Amino acid sequence: MPASPENNRLENIRKFQADVEQCMKCGFCGYFCPIYREEHDEKGLARGKDQLIRFALEGRQDLTKGFYAAIDNCLLCKTCVQYCPAKTRIDHAVTAARADYVAEKGLPLSKRFVFRHVLPNRWLFGAALRFASWFQFVLPRRDGKFRHLPQFLTALGAGRAVPDIAPRFLRKLLPERTPARGTPTHRVGFFSGCATEYMFPEIGQNIVSLLQDLGCEVVFDRRQGCCGAPVLLSGDFATARTMAAKNVDAFRDYDYIVTGCATCSSGLREYPTYLSRTEEERQRFEQFAAKVKDFNALVIDVLSADVKRFTVKPEYQGKTVTWHDPCHLARHQDIRSQPREILRAVDGIRFVEMQDADRCCGLGGSFSITHYDVSKKIADHKANAVSASRADIIATACPGCMIQLRDALSRHKLDVEVVHIGQLFKVAPTPSANP
Amino acid sequence: MAYEQITSHLKNIVGRSNVLTSDEDCNVYSYDGTSNWIHKPDLVVFPTETRHVEAVLKLANEHRIPVTPRGGGTNVSGGSVPIRGGIALVMTRMNKILSIDGANLSARAQAGVVLMDLQVALAQKKLFFPPDPQSFFGATLGGVINENSGGPVCLKYGVTKQYMLGLQAVLPTGRIVEFGGSTVKNVVGYDLVSLLTGSEGTLAVVTEAVLRLLPMPPSRKTIVALFDDLPKSGATVGRILDQGTVPAKIELLDNWVVKSINRIAKMGLPEDAAAMLMFECDGTDEVVAHDSRQVIEICRKEGAVHIIEARDQAEAQLYWKARSAGFAAIFGAAHTVLSEDVCVPRTRMAEFIERVVAICRRAGLEVTVIGHAGDGNLHPSVMTDARDPAHYQKAQRAVEEIIEAAVEFGGVLSGEHGIGLEKQKFMRRTQDPIFIELMKKIKGIFDPNGILNPGKIWEDRSC
Repeated sequence: MPASPENNRLENIRKFQADVEQCMKCGFCGYFCPIYREEHDEKGLARGKDQLIRFALEGRQDLTKGFYAAIDNCLLCKTCVQYCPAKTRIDHAVTAARADYVAEKGLPLSKRFVFRHVLPNRWLFGAALRFASWFQFVLPRRDGKFRHLPQFLTALGAGRAVPDIAPRFLRKLLPERTPARGTPTHRVGFFSGCATEYMFPEIGQNIVSLLQDLGCEVVFDRRQGCCGAPVLLSGDFATARTMAAKNVDAFRDYDYIVTGCATCSSGLREYPTYLSRTEEERQRFEQFAAKVKDFNALVIDVLSADVKRFTVKPEYQGKTVTWHDPCHLARHQDIRSQPREILRAVDGIRFVEMQDADRCCGLGGSFSITHYDVSKKIADHKANAVSASRADIIATACPGCMIQLRDALSRHKLDVEVVHIGQLFKVAPTPSANP
Repeated sequence: MAYEQITSHLKNIVGRSNVLTSDEDCNVYSYDGTSNWIHKPDLVVFPTETRHVEAVLKLANEHRIPVTPRGGGTNVSGGSVPIRGGIALVMTRMNKILSIDGANLSARAQAGVVLMDLQVALAQKKLFFPPDPQSFFGATLGGVINENSGGPVCLKYGVTKQYMLGLQAVLPTGRIVEFGGSTVKNVVGYDLVSLLTGSEGTLAVVTEAVLRLLPMPPSRKTIVALFDDLPKSGATVGRILDQGTVPAKIELLDNWVVKSINRIAKMGLPEDAAAMLMFECDGTDEVVAHDSRQVIEICRKEGAVHIIEARDQAEAQLYWKARSAGFAAIFGAAHTVLSEDVCVPRTRMAEFIERVVAICRRAGLEVTVIGHAGDGNLHPSVMTDARDPAHYQKAQRAVEEIIEAAVEFGGVLSGEHGIGLEKQKFMRRTQDPIFIELMKKIKGIFDPNGILNPGKIWEDRSC
């Protein structure tokens, strides 16, 4: 058992006890929970989880493996929270309960090694993936760009189609400091996130280039690590704290911290909620979290950029584009209008809404590894909606969702390209930007 | 037979993944929508076909194992709580809509279909199954039938039993029976479909139902009227119906809810309004126009201080959502909320509400009264805290007085939630003993060994 302050029994659940007790047991969540919609078992339901956690507080339920399995069977997509008549924050209750379980019983073996040793160490993570990438040619290719990676190699997916590991990681491609083109108006720190760093470095390059054109000096501080979301949301708060400390330290001196990964931005913003143990710590995390901005939110809300200046890259000219709302943007950060504003304003593409654009894609981080079957079924609904929209391109702002969407679309044999919104555009120089 | 043997038999019947036995599995099937009724089953079984239900009940009957059927578990009577343990028979995986027949205005569906899913599928064909219990996001068809559910539109359209054509059910002895049929007219023998509808899962396990449908009303309109005096709002409801206008819904909200709507939805309603009536008129454009005019005119005549006419469905949705939010706020306002379900003749509604307020004022308790004013079905909600025994007892006494008052006014103790466990202590006090005796005898015919949902509706001293 790790020696940590979380050893006080159910300390985290008690911190969120008001949230746990907010549930009035109406069961409305059943209609909205992507997992319950597939499994039809109360354990998958927010109400079921809430009751189990309440029973744990009342001594009716032990912290068994089955208890962890039940509270682990949640995407933290917050769809139930969005529709809950009592506005119960089940995401708080579930995350806290995971933390109390981990504090008491330790992480399940499947997550322990990767979370404790690989993710916190940028070099080791990179080396492990690089090592895996040398061998990826031996793995069977499915459709074009996808491979089946056995779990022991990547810990990213059991038999799922995952993107190739990038031949060159982002830190080899992007300088530490990228100056603004024209007069600099903001100095922003760029937080890459693991998927952008190792799988989709082109997303990082594009975002930085766009921001450069919009008058930002962008610093890609090498001291940053993993945002910690997979670790934190699995309840390993002790490890998450070491990750948080590293990131808070790295980004001390910036006006804003921008990332193209919805999970990272929401994860970074969760530090004060879950990780602070003292008031001083909470304030430090709050100050840090307040600076974290999703790419879309930065462009629209902070830079008030003239999105008419965005020009569609030639390869996307004339295409029909739909938008997938990542849970970590739409429900965790209430960022819905900003990407649509961009997609609607830009000439050269046609924007269409698909049915249930904010429906969870079913990835849920490590959920898709541990619960791949259900994860696939949830993704099927998304694939059907994309297909019905007749879009050529599905844009989003979360590399995690991109992995899931590509997997789902390839299973459904749909010829729809999945791109990060930041990859669609360039910024036309304006006289004011280049005096 | 030992527990392990029963479990392995059940796994043979429904398949491994459809039998759950762990502590946490039993815990999540130990409750329903009520605050305080909790009892664990010994195991949880999910049938996926009618013949599974047949085999499970045969086995349970043979070994005298209690079986408690359950749908979405959204009921608020304790009815789906397995109070004697045994098997929780969870119907949620029998969730297929089997057919929708526009020409015959009927549909056939399995018991585990969620009501909202059914409504969405029907709406695509411009059809409509009127019963609208407000638990529609979680409630299953089987639950709706077994509780004979109703909701706001029951003023105009009636409750579930008016929409039942036929049922497929499995008797507790393990025999599959088709009751009723698929025609609107059917007088072949006793109406056992109606008997099963509202039987709270004590007579048979409903597996499929044939429903009577209506065409979806093409048009609807929402009107909100505020009154500075509660009896005035009550009189208004009577006057509107008396004039021959039957809106689909007439909902009543008291000052407590009006204020909480203002707080949550920032709608700027008059804070001192004693009561708010919400109307929804539906039908063809002409009917809706006529009915809305009538409603507005009578509200004005009866002294409404503020009338809002929703311009379109989007605005109407805002009001109905605000109403739900205001209702939900009641449950967040206190640790324990004792929400009752009495139904009184609508002409005595205002008088009854004043009595409720007086009872609670005397006891020093906070209470809010909302309900389906059109049919006199009210939900007085008394706020208390089960952790504070003195306060809780006081609240329970007030609830008893409220129910006695409802009966005194010619009403009933439950309009739409059912008896289950929650209300059974009031049964003996308010009902003729021969009625309870007859029910027990009927139960004995269907379920000679008393295995199906035992311990419900009437108090059973054998437990």
